[in-house]
Amino acid sequence: METINAIEIRGLTKSFKGMYALNGLNMNVPVGSIYGFIGENGSGKSTTEKLICGLLVPDSGTIKLFGRDYQDPGVRVRVGALIENAGCFPGSSVYMNLKMQALNLNIENIEEEISRVLKIVRMEDSRNIKFKSCSLGMKQRIGIAMALLKDPALLILDEPINGLDTDGMRIMREILVDITKNYGCTVLISSHILGELEKIATHYGVIRQGRLIMELSAKEMDSRSKMFISLKTKDMKNTLDVLKRRYPKVKEEEGYLRVYDEENVEEIVEYLLKNNHVVSEIKKNKVGLEEYYIELMSQKEEE
Amino acid sequence: MNKTLEFKNPSLIDRIKGMLSVDFYRLFHTPLFYIFLGIAAIIPALVSMGMSTTDPTTGQITGSSLENIWIMVAVEKPLYVVNNIAEYANMNMVFIFGGIMVSIFIGHDYKSGYVKQLFTTHAKKQDYMISKSLTCAFAMASMCLTYLLGTIVSGIVNQISFSVNVGSLIIAILGKMVMSLGWASLYTFLNIIFRRYFGVSIASSFFFGTGILIIGVGAIIDSLSLNSSILNLFLYGSSVNACLSSNILTLLTCIGVSLLWAIIYNVVGTYILNRSDVY
Repeated sequence: METINAIEIRGLTKSFKGMYALNGLNMNVPVGSIYGFIGENGSGKSTTEKLICGLLVPDSGTIKLFGRDYQDPGVRVRVGALIENAGCFPGSSVYMNLKMQALNLNIENIEEEISRVLKIVRMEDSRNIKFKSCSLGMKQRIGIAMALLKDPALLILDEPINGLDTDGMRIMREILVDITKNYGCTVLISSHILGELEKIATHYGVIRQGRLIMELSAKEMDSRSKMFISLKTKDMKNTLDVLKRRYPKVKEEEGYLRVYDEENVEEIVEYLLKNNHVVSEIKKNKVGLEEYYIELMSQKEEE
Repeated sequence: MNKTLEFKNPSLIDRIKGMLSVDFYRLFHTPLFYIFLGIAAIIPALVSMGMSTTDPTTGQITGSSLENIWIMVAVEKPLYVVNNIAEYANMNMVFIFGGIMVSIFIGHDYKSGYVKQLFTTHAKKQDYMISKSLTCAFAMASMCLTYLLGTIVSGIVNQISFSVNVGSLIIAILGKMVMSLGWASLYTFLNIIFRRYFGVSIASSFFFGTGILIIGVGAIIDSLSLNSSILNLFLYGSSVNACLSSNILTLLTCIGVSLLWAIIYNVVGTYILNRSDVY
């Protein structure tokens, strides 16, 4: 049986004044996934998201949502989006903004539904605050609440954690995991904060110059990620020089010395001891999404 | 959690109902509508004050140059060529101020980004055009009523004659209210075209609302001794045609012309929206 993707894009092209923002993009977002959409500024992430939401008109290509054409009113009414901003009227209260969206979606039990989404985004007590008085984190959460009305099948979130503080990011992360686990919603999320994305994404798509250069699941990503050893000594600078004499890939990162040779932990410790460097701390690690991405981008630069 | 994914196609009525609900909610829950209702009510008072006559020695108001207060609502006979601009300073002014209101109403959709929510959930752009046209037509028709109220009050205050053919007056008022749909559709269309330039939207609404274009055409037709009733096919012409000597045919003309232009602007507006990006 053929698996239907929540989003399936083929050969999508979009240009602005002759400049290609997307150039033959293909993309597959599985149903129920949290799809981390990664790329540099101007790589085409927002353009892709706006095209999926029907806000931009493609030059060519196809977009299917749950096996249907993206212009099908039946499927689009079940898409929630947070693109660039929450899309709320600043002079109206949080409640009024949600009510307007609920009316727009022909929701029957408006009060219940508003209470439900406010609970999900943890803003039950903020319903009477004017939107313009809300903090950035609150505005982002209201945007998600708007998108969550009427049980969306697909959520499209453009940089929802940008500008949030640590606590705001944690809350947003928990909300997104909750949405997918408990409400069966597929989430397409773009972000520059790869460390945060790594904590929630089940799939990744990497876009560069308007083309998807890699698409993989978090499991595949995990298996592809290199292992390395992080260690600390009293004299980090000299230890680095000593290690470099023997191991080809060594660098100092975030207060640790990294040796990209996971097989020989004992050998490394022994070698350092012989050279009078006592290891005070050592652990095995895996390359994170951010490093993986940077490495991937530098490989593409070289190509 | 695995859920069965169901996608029911909403009917046109359901889609329009949703969009209309949010537009009317916005209209009634924000100050914009009430401010313009107030403006419409104040216009006749301001115009009648401007028409008042004063005793040069005492400086006191002695009367008004208005012989009949209903001139504030509509001209006596349809005129298409400007002889005296004051003759046009009647209920048609609601369409000028209404245009500005529509510009602000639609402009806020784009400025706040709410239009993205609307277009994400409404795949059919015609929903937007229809809903905005109907909502703004209602707002303008309401402004006609507050204008009427303002006229009556200023007539009483300034002790101006109320003598009129009531049937024609009612038809003239209804005709102008009906014309609101055509005007609202025109303004919605203009705001779709100039959606990225708020100032231009307002200026274009004002420009079209004053009927400057049709007045120019009227002058040409008049100088060529052609039948000026052809101008009734246009929004301004039909709005002027709803005068104090109106009959049922006038009202039918207003209904037909208003509907015709509403359909034209909605179709062209939808076409443009379908082919343009939303920012």
